[in-house]
Amino acid sequence: MSSKVSKWKTYRPVIALSILSMLVCGLAYPLLITGVSQAAFPYQANGSQVQLGGRVVGSYYIDNGFTLPIFFHGRNETNPLTASASGVDPDITLSDALSQVPRISNATGIPASSLDALVKAHERWTLWVTGDPYVNVLELNLALIAAYPSSYPGYA
Amino acid sequence: MARRLPGVDRILGRARLARRPSALTSKTLADSVLRLNPVSLLANPVMLIVELTFFVVAAMAAYPYAFVPFASPGERWFYVEVAAILLVTVWFSTLSDSLAEQQAKNTANSLKRLETEVPAKKVVTEGWERQIVHTESTKLQKGDLVLLEKGDVVPMDAEVLEGIAMVDESLVTGESAAVRKAPGDSLIGGSKVASDTMTVRVAVNPGESYLDQMVRLVESSKRPKTPNEVAITMVLFGLSAVFTIIIASILGLSVTLGLSVDLSVLIALYVCLLPTTIGALLPAIGLSGISRLYERKVVAKSGRAIETAGDTDAILLDKTGTITVGNRQAVEMIPLGGKTEKEVGEAAFLSSWFDDTPEGRSVIRLGHEKGYVPRELNALTMSEVYDFSAQTRTSGVKLHFGASFVLPKGSVQRVRRKFYLEDASEQGMHLSGEETEIVKGAPDSFLRSGFKVPQGFQELVDRVASEGDTPMAVARDHEVIGLVRLKDVLKTGTREKIEAVRSMGIRPVMITGDQPLTAKSIASEVGIDEFVAQVKPEDKYSIVLKEQSQNHIVAMIGDGTNDAPALAAADVGLAMNSGTEAAKEAANMVDLESNPAKIIDVVLLGKQLLMTRGAVTAFSISNDVAKYFAILPVMFATAFPALESFNVLGLNLQTAVLSALIFNAVIIPMLIPLAMRGVTFKPSSTMSLFLRNVLIYGVGGVIVPFIGIKLIDLLLGVL
Amino acid sequence: MIDVIQALAVIGILAAALVSGSLLAPYVVRVLTGAPTRLDRFLDPVEKRVYGLIGADPTVAMGWKQYFFAALLLNLAQMAIAFAILVAQGVLPLNPQGFPGLRWDLALNTVVSFATNTNLQHYAGEATLSYFSQMTAIQFLQFTSAATGVCVMAAMVRGFKPGSAHMGNFYVDFVRVLTRIILPLCILAALVLVALGVPQTIGGYVAVKTVEGATQTLLVGPVASLVAIMQIGTNGGGYFGANSAYPFQNPNPATDVLQIYLMLLIPTTLVFVFGEMIGKKKETRPILIGSYSLLAIDLVIGFLGSIPTVGPGIETRFGGFFSTFWTVITTAVTTGSVNASLSGINPLGILSAFMGMLIQATPGGKGVGVMYMIMYIVITVFVVGLMTGRTPEYLGVKINARDVKLVMVAFLVHPIAILVPTIAAYATKAVDAIPGFTSLPTSVGFTQVLYEFASSAANNGSDFFGAAANTPFFNLSTAAVIFVGRYVPIAILLALAGSMIGRKRVAEQSLRTDGAAFSVVLIGSILLLVVLAFLPFLMLGPLLTYFQGMVNFFG
Repeated sequence: MSSKVSKWKTYRPVIALSILSMLVCGLAYPLLITGVSQAAFPYQANGSQVQLGGRVVGSYYIDNGFTLPIFFHGRNETNPLTASASGVDPDITLSDALSQVPRISNATGIPASSLDALVKAHERWTLWVTGDPYVNVLELNLALIAAYPSSYPGYA
Repeated sequence: MARRLPGVDRILGRARLARRPSALTSKTLADSVLRLNPVSLLANPVMLIVELTFFVVAAMAAYPYAFVPFASPGERWFYVEVAAILLVTVWFSTLSDSLAEQQAKNTANSLKRLETEVPAKKVVTEGWERQIVHTESTKLQKGDLVLLEKGDVVPMDAEVLEGIAMVDESLVTGESAAVRKAPGDSLIGGSKVASDTMTVRVAVNPGESYLDQMVRLVESSKRPKTPNEVAITMVLFGLSAVFTIIIASILGLSVTLGLSVDLSVLIALYVCLLPTTIGALLPAIGLSGISRLYERKVVAKSGRAIETAGDTDAILLDKTGTITVGNRQAVEMIPLGGKTEKEVGEAAFLSSWFDDTPEGRSVIRLGHEKGYVPRELNALTMSEVYDFSAQTRTSGVKLHFGASFVLPKGSVQRVRRKFYLEDASEQGMHLSGEETEIVKGAPDSFLRSGFKVPQGFQELVDRVASEGDTPMAVARDHEVIGLVRLKDVLKTGTREKIEAVRSMGIRPVMITGDQPLTAKSIASEVGIDEFVAQVKPEDKYSIVLKEQSQNHIVAMIGDGTNDAPALAAADVGLAMNSGTEAAKEAANMVDLESNPAKIIDVVLLGKQLLMTRGAVTAFSISNDVAKYFAILPVMFATAFPALESFNVLGLNLQTAVLSALIFNAVIIPMLIPLAMRGVTFKPSSTMSLFLRNVLIYGVGGVIVPFIGIKLIDLLLGVL
Repeated sequence: MIDVIQALAVIGILAAALVSGSLLAPYVVRVLTGAPTRLDRFLDPVEKRVYGLIGADPTVAMGWKQYFFAALLLNLAQMAIAFAILVAQGVLPLNPQGFPGLRWDLALNTVVSFATNTNLQHYAGEATLSYFSQMTAIQFLQFTSAATGVCVMAAMVRGFKPGSAHMGNFYVDFVRVLTRIILPLCILAALVLVALGVPQTIGGYVAVKTVEGATQTLLVGPVASLVAIMQIGTNGGGYFGANSAYPFQNPNPATDVLQIYLMLLIPTTLVFVFGEMIGKKKETRPILIGSYSLLAIDLVIGFLGSIPTVGPGIETRFGGFFSTFWTVITTAVTTGSVNASLSGINPLGILSAFMGMLIQATPGGKGVGVMYMIMYIVITVFVVGLMTGRTPEYLGVKINARDVKLVMVAFLVHPIAILVPTIAAYATKAVDAIPGFTSLPTSVGFTQVLYEFASSAANNGSDFFGAAANTPFFNLSTAAVIFVGRYVPIAILLALAGSMIGRKRVAEQSLRTDGAAFSVVLIGSILLLVVLAFLPFLMLGPLLTYFQGMVNFFG
């Protein structure tokens, strides 16, 4: 009997502490963060959802899968030699964006110089104010729609 | 900026024993070949592995077809070459063992020769008859009585029973002056009786002396590994295990990835990576460390003791014998209380007449030189002698002038002979019927009541003491009349040695019975900061314990039975061979020359041993980088030609493996002299020693093989 | 190569980690030594209740064996709980996507991997795990494994500390480290991450119609809370299969920099904790100089290769620079999170990643990095210390044969745990089960297999394969390697530290380990040891890839 007691004495802290730490770290902590985040940062906490005409069309951070010639396209994620690591890279390099300007200009009739300016206006950098320039495709396309609503009937 | 110290070899001085030439003899060669037997290699796993790989490659050379696809029969001649180099590698290792053991045995034997085979006159008692039996020293047993007459050699370590004689120990200790030996004193085997006759009792059995212990210590098969050697062996084991895994993995990959690696090339890489250099030289380094100690006539009871000596960070130095030559010399008579120098000198002369200590004799000598030979000399025969008493710490004489008398005939001649006197009167002298008492001794012993102490006494005492000299007060008829200045004579070379150990971060602590002022002055004269004054022999034990409680590793010397507990407690205890059996038993080293200053040499030798071991280990491990660069490109080049870019040395792919393997083998004999001689170093701070050795043996160990392998490769190309 | 601005960015982030590490260290020491802290008012009563609840006596002082087995048993119990949750997630709550339970070998691999701070993932979280599993199995183990690492290091330091009589109490350490260090830091970091754009919800995936009208699912979930602990705890196991390359886990350069910083924070802090806790602040120097110099060497090697602006496997918002930088850091601190596909990193970057995982102390994983560094110090002190002419000592203790034996065995664990299964993976043809493996060039394939086991043994967790290695062979072999790679060295190094208790300390250390001179020698010795043990294999892997002129591992 006494060995049973001493065994329980050895294993009780182990088992009890495992359960307790699971409840605190695995449930209390993430639920606390969820609660605070939902209250304080509801936009970010729910995935930075982007609306167009009152409708959620995606997330700022997830490639929206543009394929039409009138839009800037994201990276080609179907070919492993061009795909990103995530497969949903929301950004393209500045040069990539600029290389798409003639196609969009052709398809929409918007002057290439205006498109160039629009792209430049949405430029971001990997090192905040310097580094490699890139643009967020969804943001750029939404700005495109907002700037030229007539060229994008049915989207605005 | 500290003075630049000379190298350790200069400081240690030339070894007292001529180094036996460790030249290759046919005996050594035969011994080294016998040691190739795998069974005798069991103690050296690294070399055993190399020998096993030799058998594998030899088999490849003999039956190449059996090893396909790991061997190509066309490469048979290459396998023969590789096998040969592997065997030579092992042989170089056994050769270094044989050489080191031969050298150590030679040294040990030449030390042992000091005590062997001398004729002895054994005293045999039959009933009431005492008989003298002529025999050999080797046949004596402990407890035997031996008669020693002028000119005899002391056959074995012994103790004086009867008679007083002068004994010349110069053969053993190098000290030229004969020593007076009285009942109770111990005699060192090998010393010579210079005058008179005495009966002594043999103190040891044959084969029991330290010299015999010493010889056993250098037989490698019986020598236990020291703690440090065990630890290094662990490193070698660990590295060997890592390399075994690597080689096995390459072999596995060779099969699974189809790299077509040749087994002999893989084995060559294996052997090159194994720490063969240190593995081969480790036993020799340890043995040579012992030899170097023996060459200085210090016998260690274990290899561990030598290592501990290297670890020492506090040395307790007995002032007498270590820092000073041991006998103080009277150099000045200083009068007090209106007395003249002559009065003091004559009184001192008279009080020292019966004092046979070196100090006493030096007073007589100084008195004679100054012409203070007293007229009362004749009265000495009728005097009452006060021997030195520990209680009063004084000695002296009381002269009776009651009866007139004449100096007995011949006594003046004796005085002349002894002190080279020329002007002592031979006429009988009539003296007034009075008594006079003359006492000399430690100044503070006169401060007790009953002595009249003149003004300025204490000031003078302090002044003399603070100048590093010992004041001895002289009193006549209960009145202190002056001081004799006794000067310590510093040993030559001690200062340098003390500076050497201090620079290596070791604290020398001087121990002396002197009063603090004298101690301080002498200590500072030889560059010692710490001293313990007014020490009685039995205090040494508590000093050792105190140092150890402050986590110091303590080395000390001792000779008396009083010293035995301290010698046993100290981490390194060096006993004087002239000391008592108890002291020698308690110590872990014995200096046959009974030179207390040797303790410093012992510490430096211990350091040299550890340093040599570390240096060869670091060198051996660092060597591996170059060997990788030599062999890997060859090994993988067949499967992946792109890896030829790794052949930074531009080695010929046909000979690169042999070059690396040859370098790996020949570096062993090239380092044998270093292993046997020990790393030379200039005593300096631990960190600068460390950096210097890391640069030479660590960084050098990376660079040297690149050069060596390239040179061998060029040479092979020419051949 | 990188330009000046990029170099400055690297230096800035490392400097930030060093400064905050040195500032945080005294607090961590207070927590570990039971000294008063500001949180006492709230936490003391809670802790007291916890000890009562779990039935542990906080005053019991443990020896190394007791301490180690308490840690091991606790980890095993936690693995058991997490295993049950993963296998049964289909019937558990918070599973809006209705994912089924995991196969046993994958569940086993996952719990061993997460309980040991490894976080090797043979699954894609967003397609495999329910919210409940992500929280109660994954995040839970990420906390406890990180806390365990800090605890065992604290125990080791206590062993080495002059005059200490025991190794501490594991339960007390565990509770205090969790409540006073890791949880507060994670709460702070998680909220900052949310503010910067990382989702935190349990509302389920969001189905939307894109601008062009296609259907898209936004894989939102309790991501930020997980990212905080995975980086702070040097865990590295992400919410998503693509880990921090996935935009919801790492949406922009700001979160990227923050996460690199968070990875470095605690390992760097613990380097300072060592000296502070041992009572000799200067003894932090060799560990600090050693680990950061080796990290610098790693970075130089990593940046020597071609750094593309963007390329296959690299996210546009990070570019080649941040991807390579991250890869070096994540392996240097054995976190194992990635912000790019490893296949997109150039061979020298991968070589550098190997260095980090093989050295494990640059500054290494939480707690164990310092432990490995002490292991290297002991080996180095012994071999080079002899050259000072004295039996070498570390922190005043003479290194004896048993100490040397222990560190050599600890050093041996790595080569065995990495090389043997690598050969076995080829010999059993288990590699062929990985889609597309057979078509890879030998050097690329070998790099990937070697990396899998190096990452497992080092408890790093990054890998080339991901869910592709969800095969019984790789699940079980990596689980075994992870287990051995974690607990065997910890046990050995705790035994080493335990043997220091009560040992005689010399007054004057012959070889000073607290200076630049020793640190330089230490760096050389670590490089030498690692090069000696692994050079042939690095030659057949990333180096061969490099010399064959490949710029990445897409084959």
